[in-house]
Amino acid sequence: MEIKEFGKLQSNRKKHKAEVSMQTGFPSPATHYLENTIDLSEVFVKNKEATFYIRIGGSVWENLNIYKNDVLIIDRSLKFSRRTMALIVKDGSFDIIKYPSLENKEDLESIELWGVITYIIHKV
Amino acid sequence: MIGIIDCNSFYASCEQVFRPDLRGKPVVVLSNNDGCVIAANKEAKALAHIPMFEPVFKIKDQLIKNNVTFFSSNYTLYGEMSNRVMRILKEFSPIVEIYSIDEAFIDLSGLDHIDLEDYGHEIKKKIMRYTGLPVGVGIAPTKVLAKLANRRSKKEISNNHVYVINSEEKRIDTLHWAKIKDVWGIGKKHTTRLQEIGKHSAYDFTQLPLSWVRKNMTVVGERTWRELRGESCLSLEVMPKPKKAIGTAKSFGKKLTSIELIEEACSYYINEVSEVLRSQNSCAKYLQVFLQTNYHSNNDKQYHNSITVTLETPTNNTFILNTEGKKALHRIFKSGYRYKKVGVCLSGIVPENYVQTNLFHQTSEKKGLMEVFDKINQKFGKSTLSPALLNKSKIKEWELVKEQRSPRYTTQWEDILKIQ
Repeated sequence: MEIKEFGKLQSNRKKHKAEVSMQTGFPSPATHYLENTIDLSEVFVKNKEATFYIRIGGSVWENLNIYKNDVLIIDRSLKFSRRTMALIVKDGSFDIIKYPSLENKEDLESIELWGVITYIIHKV
Repeated sequence: MIGIIDCNSFYASCEQVFRPDLRGKPVVVLSNNDGCVIAANKEAKALAHIPMFEPVFKIKDQLIKNNVTFFSSNYTLYGEMSNRVMRILKEFSPIVEIYSIDEAFIDLSGLDHIDLEDYGHEIKKKIMRYTGLPVGVGIAPTKVLAKLANRRSKKEISNNHVYVINSEEKRIDTLHWAKIKDVWGIGKKHTTRLQEIGKHSAYDFTQLPLSWVRKNMTVVGERTWRELRGESCLSLEVMPKPKKAIGTAKSFGKKLTSIELIEEACSYYINEVSEVLRSQNSCAKYLQVFLQTNYHSNNDKQYHNSITVTLETPTNNTFILNTEGKKALHRIFKSGYRYKKVGVCLSGIVPENYVQTNLFHQTSEKKGLMEVFDKINQKFGKSTLSPALLNKSKIKEWELVKEQRSPRYTTQWEDILKIQ
């Protein structure tokens, strides 16, 4: 009977030691000056509990400078006031309106407000 | 004083916030896998012939005939909306006990100088304005009385969803108003018992001698009795208790006969529950696996079985639990049946730091591995990493059917409400 030698199994000497960290060198001089990176929601979201996002699926509100695929940031906690726009519910469906001018004030009574628009995100 | 705030037909209301076209119309929400009706709004409840907890296939025609809109449950949405409500409540009181997804107790002590009825209305209005969800508010000196006040706030239209028990007259009046079965903590058995001896209202119950209550209804009954009499016995539990058992069991999308697919589902659930276990830093000693056929079906042969495995050492390692779960499943699986559901339940839960190992225990498990595992899954989504048993391409065969699930409006960019 002939026995052939195929070679021996050898343990690998080079072991990865990724779990152990080695600290060398002078620590970063920026350590004491670190601040968090700018976060958009700090500006856009004043009230997390009342904020909702809504996407525009059509071009009916282009006269209000709101275009298809824009995202509206809505803050439901805000009062509908002059020079703002709001998402409202009319006959069971959503619509966007500007705050009515003085002569149309009585409209306000019949409006069912969903939320005030605070920002429009528009991709350029 | 203690307040309890609960959302009116919470699941249906969450759906309606984003669907103004459904306001004032009947809406029901179905359980996982669209099995049965688990929630209905008042318009749907008014259609008396829609029974709750009835399998959907039995009542589907009725729902359609009555123009009832039905949704598959969207727990992602309900959970997120619930968090909003709870955070708003924290503005009204520093001590909030989240009792369930749609209910919370709040501590209102030290507010004697203000009109609590106004305060209740303020809470209600704020939650409505911020989230669009309608709530009811009950305020009283004790938890059990607050529960009754909350019930009264809804049942009597003139209360406009806020009721405060802030005087002895109002307490007595509410006790006369409340039926014994409506008292929080008095179950069916005791209700029957009390009715048999002629006690029908909560007031009647409070007039029983304490010795009788203690003898027949134990200390739990005594606490209820005292609470109804205005003596606070139940405090607010702000810290959630670590869970005593963690389980999951969902029906398959379609009936399964092959063990490979059931194994996969089982492995998926073990993956889920062990993650919960690790998130609360505990380990489990027992693993239960159960399997069942569809008991609503008259044509199928029926079989159900369950098995509980005692683990050598309490663990929260997905891989160990998986191996044991698979073995357990093989012991109860019988071929030739069409299975509807597999479930797993972990119990004997102990804190991670107090795990009692046995003499021959080898600490081969690497904690770091599970940590990385969880972090990756948190970052890239559920089940990005899972044991190799899970074959992603096949998942659809047993996965839940959620035909009518609404978009996850508040948690996924691609799901946000679209208007045109």
